[in-house]
Amino acid sequence: MTRSSLATGALLAIAALTLAGCSGDDSPETPDDTTAPDTSGDTVELTFWHGYTEADGDVLEQIVADFNESQEAVHIVTEINPWAVIDDTLLPSLSAGDGPDIVAMPAERLPVYAARGAFVALDDFYADAANNAADLNPGAVDMVTVDGAVYGVPAGFVPLALYYNKALFDAAGVTEAPATWDDWVDTATALTVDENGDGTPEQYGVVLPDHATVANGLWPSLFYGNGGDIVADGEAVVDSPENAETLAFWQDAIAGAAISPTGVDGIGADELFSGGKAAMTVGGPWMTFIAADNGIDLGIAAIPAGPEAQAASAIGISMAITAQDDPEVQAAAEQFFAYFFNDENSVAWSLGSGWPPLRTDIPADAIAENATVAALTPMAEFGRPLLPGVVNTTDVLTAVDELTQRAMAGEGIAMLLAEAQDKVEAALADQ
Amino acid sequence: MSTQTPGSRAAYRAPAPLGGRSSGRPPGRSLLRGEARRGTTALAFLLPALVVLAAFVLWPMISALRLSFTDAAGFGTENWVGLENYSAVFTDAGVRDAVVNTVLYAAIFTPTAVVAALVLALVVNNPRLPWRGFFRTSLFLPFVVSLAVAAFAWSYLIDPQVGLVTYWLSGVGIQLGDVLEDPTLAMPAVALVAVWKSFGFYFVIFLAGLQDIPASLYEAARVDGAGALGRFRHVTLPLLSNTFAFVGVFAMIAALQAFDQIYVMTGGGPYGHTQTIVMEIYESGFRKLELGFASALSYVLLVATLLLSILQFVFFGRREEDLS
Repeated sequence: MTRSSLATGALLAIAALTLAGCSGDDSPETPDDTTAPDTSGDTVELTFWHGYTEADGDVLEQIVADFNESQEAVHIVTEINPWAVIDDTLLPSLSAGDGPDIVAMPAERLPVYAARGAFVALDDFYADAANNAADLNPGAVDMVTVDGAVYGVPAGFVPLALYYNKALFDAAGVTEAPATWDDWVDTATALTVDENGDGTPEQYGVVLPDHATVANGLWPSLFYGNGGDIVADGEAVVDSPENAETLAFWQDAIAGAAISPTGVDGIGADELFSGGKAAMTVGGPWMTFIAADNGIDLGIAAIPAGPEAQAASAIGISMAITAQDDPEVQAAAEQFFAYFFNDENSVAWSLGSGWPPLRTDIPADAIAENATVAALTPMAEFGRPLLPGVVNTTDVLTAVDELTQRAMAGEGIAMLLAEAQDKVEAALADQ
Repeated sequence: MSTQTPGSRAAYRAPAPLGGRSSGRPPGRSLLRGEARRGTTALAFLLPALVVLAAFVLWPMISALRLSFTDAAGFGTENWVGLENYSAVFTDAGVRDAVVNTVLYAAIFTPTAVVAALVLALVVNNPRLPWRGFFRTSLFLPFVVSLAVAAFAWSYLIDPQVGLVTYWLSGVGIQLGDVLEDPTLAMPAVALVAVWKSFGFYFVIFLAGLQDIPASLYEAARVDGAGALGRFRHVTLPLLSNTFAFVGVFAMIAALQAFDQIYVMTGGGPYGHTQTIVMEIYESGFRKLELGFASALSYVLLVATLLLSILQFVFFGRREEDLS
C-alpha cells in the first residue's frame, strides 16, 4: 500500500467515524426498554427523572407502572439517579434538547430553573378541580410558586422533626421528648456525657449541624421559632433582633455548654446519631431507615417550640414539566400528575415513602398503619416552605451557612448578622 | 559548539539520488510534489487529533465566547447583553473573594510543588542512591491517580473521626481537628493534596533537566573549588532555568485552575474559604444557571493566565540571558 492510498484510507475512516459519531442514538437508555410499547400510534412517550432510590423508589415505580397499564395514550419511562446527579445533568441535557419531560428535584432548586424558563406553568392544572390540586398542602404549593405562577407539583413535603434515641433517653432517665427550647437544652445537657472530663463529650445530647444542614432547614426552623425569618415578602430580614436572640441562645448552648459538636454538617449529624454518639438530631423521614439499619429504637417528636412559635422548615421535593412547546407532552404529563394525586395513589405514596400525604383531605386513619407517617402528619401544620419564591437560593443559603457556622464558632453575632444581611440583599437583587 | 559558518548553509547541496542519475524532470517541481504528498500524509495522521481538538476545545471556546455576551441559561431564549457580564465580573464580591482565595491557593501550591519536585529530583538524580528506579516510579505514581480519587482518599485520611492520619498524629500528641471545616487550615489542606498528586510530574521534568546537564561542568566546577552548594548555585540552577520556566508556568496554570479536589473535599467551604475562581465559574454556571456570566469569568481567567504565563517566560528568558 502506498503512502497516498494509506492517507486516503485514513481520511475516509475518519470521515466515517465522524459521521457515525454525529448520528443520533434515539433509543431509550433505561431498564424499561423492553417494556416500552410501540409508539408508532398515538401513544405519547415521556421520560421521567427522579431520585427516589430506596423503598420510596419502588413505590413510585409501581405507581408509574400502574399508570402505564391504566391507559394507552401515555407511556412513562423513568430514569433514576441520585438527586445531585439530576441537578448536575439537567442543565446539559436541557441545553442539548435531550432533557426529560418530567423531572423531580429538591424543592429549593425548582425556582432557579423555573425563573429561567425551563418549566411550564401549571396554573390550568391547578384550576381543574378533577386533579385534586386544590387539596394540596398550601406550603408545598408555595415551594413551586415563582412570581405568582405555579411551575410544578409537590412530590414530598414534610417538616423537619426531632428524632431521638430512646435507649439513650432511658439510660439518662429522661422520659419524654422536649417541648420547648429551654426543655431541649436541659434534656440535651442531661444526655451529654463527658466521661474523662476533657471538654469533648463522648456522647452529645443533641447534634445541631451549623452548616449544610438537612434540606438547609435547621436554622430557618430556629429563626421561625423566635419570630425571625431570612426573607419576608421578597426582602432580606435576616439582621433582626429576633435572629440575634436566637443565635445568642444557641451559641451559649452549643459553643458554651457543649451540648452539640460544632463544625458538623447534615451528613456528619446523621453519622453521629446513627453511631450512637448523639441522643437527638433534627432530620427527615429517612431517619427511620437509618435507625433501623443501626439498631436504634427511634422516637419522633416535633421540633421544640421556640419562645414565639412552633415552626419547622419543610423539606420538599417537587416535580415539573420541562418547557418544550409541545402541548401534547404537557397534557400527558398533567394526566400523570392527576393520577399521582388520586385518592388511592396519595395514600400509597405516603405509606410507601414514609412522608405525610400531600393532600390535606386524606383522613388520618388512611395512613395510620405507618407509624412514621402517623407521627409526622400532625406536624405538617408547623411546616413552612423554605425561601418560597426566592430564585437565587444558592447565595442566600450560602450566606445563612456562613452566618450560623461562624456564630457557633463563637464570632460576634451583630457583625455576622450585618454581613449576612448584605449578602442576602445582594442575592435577592441578583435574581 | 557549532562549526558552521554563515556561508556554509548556502554551500550545502542535496545529495544526488541513489544510483547517481537525475530523474530528468525539473527538481523543483518534484520537490514540491513530494512536499505536498508529505503534507497530506501528515494531515491525515493529525486529523483525528485535530477533529477531537476542534470538537471538544475549539468549538466550546467559540461557544463560550458567544455566551459571554448573552444572558444565556443554557436553554430557552438568549439575549445579547454586550459587556454586561464582563463588567459584572470586575464588580462582583463573590469573584473578588474567589480571586483572593485563588491567589492564596497558588501561593501555597506553586512554590511547594516546584520546590518539593526539585529537591526530590536532586536526591533521586544522585547516582549513588540505591533503588533509584523504585523511588522514581514511586514518586511519579500519585500523578497517575485521578485528582478526584485522591481527594476522596485524603478526605478519609484526615477525617476527624475515622482518619488514619488524624489517628497517627494524635498518637504523637498532635490534634489535627476537623481540618476541612477549619477556615484557616482548609485551604492549605486542599492545596497540599494537589501538591501530593501533581509534584511527580514536575519531578520527572526536573529529573530530565538534571540529566541533560553535562557531567563535565560539575567536574570543572569541582576543580575550581566549588562545593555542593556552589555547584548547585552556579551550575545546576542556571542550566535548569528553562525547566524552571516550564514547571513554574505549568504549576501556576494548575493553581489557577484548581477545582477537582476542592469540589470533592470542601465544596468551596468552610463558608467560602476555598471558593476558587473555577469553583465560582462552576457555581455560577451550573448552580445558578448564569452561563453568560460564567463564560465571561472563564475568559477573564484565560486572559489572566495567558498574561501571567507570558510574564513568567519573559522573566526566565531575561534571567537566562543574564546568566549566559
